[in-house]
Amino acid sequence: MFDFSSLLYRMNQTIAIIQRELRHELRSRKSWLAILLYIGSTVYISYLAFQHDLEPITWNALFWILIIFISMFAASGSFAGREGEMLYIYTLVSPRKFILARLVYNGLFMFFVSIMALIGFIFFVGYPLSNAMVFLANMILTVWGISSLLTMAFAISSKGGGGFTLMAVISFPLMVPLLITAQHLSGMCLQGSELDNAGGYLASILALDGIIVALCYLLFAYLWRD
Amino acid sequence: MKKDIFSATWWKALCAIFLIYTCVAGFLLPVPALPILHESIRNLYFHVCMWFAMIFILTVSLVNSIRYLMNATEDRDIIASQCVNAGMVFGVLGLITGSLWARYTWGAWWINDPKLNGAAISILSYFAYIVLRGSIDDEQRKARVSAVYNIFAYVMMIVFIMIYPRLNNVDSLHPGNGGNPGFNSYDLDSHMRMVFYPAVIGWLLLCVWVASINIRTERIKRYYLNKNV
Repeated sequence: MFDFSSLLYRMNQTIAIIQRELRHELRSRKSWLAILLYIGSTVYISYLAFQHDLEPITWNALFWILIIFISMFAASGSFAGREGEMLYIYTLVSPRKFILARLVYNGLFMFFVSIMALIGFIFFVGYPLSNAMVFLANMILTVWGISSLLTMAFAISSKGGGGFTLMAVISFPLMVPLLITAQHLSGMCLQGSELDNAGGYLASILALDGIIVALCYLLFAYLWRD
Repeated sequence: MKKDIFSATWWKALCAIFLIYTCVAGFLLPVPALPILHESIRNLYFHVCMWFAMIFILTVSLVNSIRYLMNATEDRDIIASQCVNAGMVFGVLGLITGSLWARYTWGAWWINDPKLNGAAISILSYFAYIVLRGSIDDEQRKARVSAVYNIFAYVMMIVFIMIYPRLNNVDSLHPGNGGNPGFNSYDLDSHMRMVFYPAVIGWLLLCVWVASINIRTERIKRYYLNKNV
C-alpha cells in the first residue's frame, strides 16, 4: 500500500491496479483457501458419490457448475466490503482504466483457478478428454467472459444493495449464451466426436467475450458515479 | 401535463380496426395447405406479430436508456422502464401462443430447442431488470443502474434470439430454421400477406398503446409525488 500513489505517477495506472489487486489477494489467504476448499470439496464429494470415473456428460455438467460458482465467488470478492478502498481508488484513476484492470485481473485469477479445478477433476474423477487443446482454449475463453460478466453484474448488484441474490438473478440469464456454447464444445471434446467446427465455436465464444468486455468498458463509468 | 401523440385518438382507432380485421380474416381467409403446419399456420398472425411488437418496444426502451445515460432526465427513465413492462406482457403472450402452437404441431408444450431457450432466457433477463428496479430505492440511482443493465440485457437478447440459432451446428425445429417452412419465402402467399401486414401493424400499435398508458400513469404519479414533497 505504501508506494501505491507514487507507482500511479510513474507507471501505467492500469498495471498498477492489477499489481495492487494481486498483492491484496496474496496477502489475504482467506479467499485462496476458500476457493481451494470449493474445488476440493466438490471434486471429493463427486468422487465419493460416483465411486468410479464419471460419464462424460456428468463430468461436463459438474465441471461447468463448479466454474460458475467459483467465478461468482471471485467476482464478489472484487467489490464486497471494500467500499472505502474503492472510494480512494475512484479519486485517483478513471473508471475505464479501473474496470479494464479489474477485467484483466479477474480473467487471470479465473484462469489459474480453473486450471486448478481441471487438475482436481483429472486426479479424482477421471480424464475423459479426447482433445485437450480445444478444451483448454474453450475453457480459458469462456472463463474470461464469465468473469467479466460477473464483475459487471456484481458492480450493478452492489449498487442495488441486494448482494449475492440480486447478482445471481441478474447474471444467470446473461451468462447462458456463453455457457451453452462452451458446454456444447467441451461436450464434443469429452465424447470424442469429430471437431470439424471447433474454430467456429471458439470464434463465437471470442465474439461474445468481446461484446461483454466492450459493454463493461463503456458502461462501468455510469455505475460508479454516485 | 403536455399534450402529445400519446393522447391522440386516431391511431388507437386504427389499432382496433386492424386487430378486429386480424381476428376475423385471420381465421376465415384461406391459407396454403403445408405438410406439417396445416391450419396452425394462422398462428403467424398472432405469435410472430407479438414477438415483433416486443422487439420493437424493447428497442424503444434501449434507445431511451442510452439517451438517459447521455443526459439524465426523469422522463427518459419512465419511458425506458414502462416500455420494458409492456414488452414483457407481449413476450409472455408470445410464449403462450407459441407454446399452444407447439402442442398441436410438435406434440409438446415445450421442447429443448435453441430458439425456444433463447426466448425463455431473454424473458428471464428482462424479469431480472424488473427485479433490479424493485430492489433500489433511490430514484436516480435506480434509473442509472437499470439503464446500464437494460443495455446489457438487450445486447444479450439480440445475440441469443437472432445470432445464436443461426450458428451452424445448431439445429432448430422452429419454422424458418434448418429447412423447416417459415413465413418468409414461398409459403407466404398473397392471401396471407393481406392479413399478416395489417396484423403486424395492429399488434405493434396495441403494444405502443399499452406502453403509452403505463408511461402516462407513471408521469402523473411522479408529478404528484414531486408536488407533494
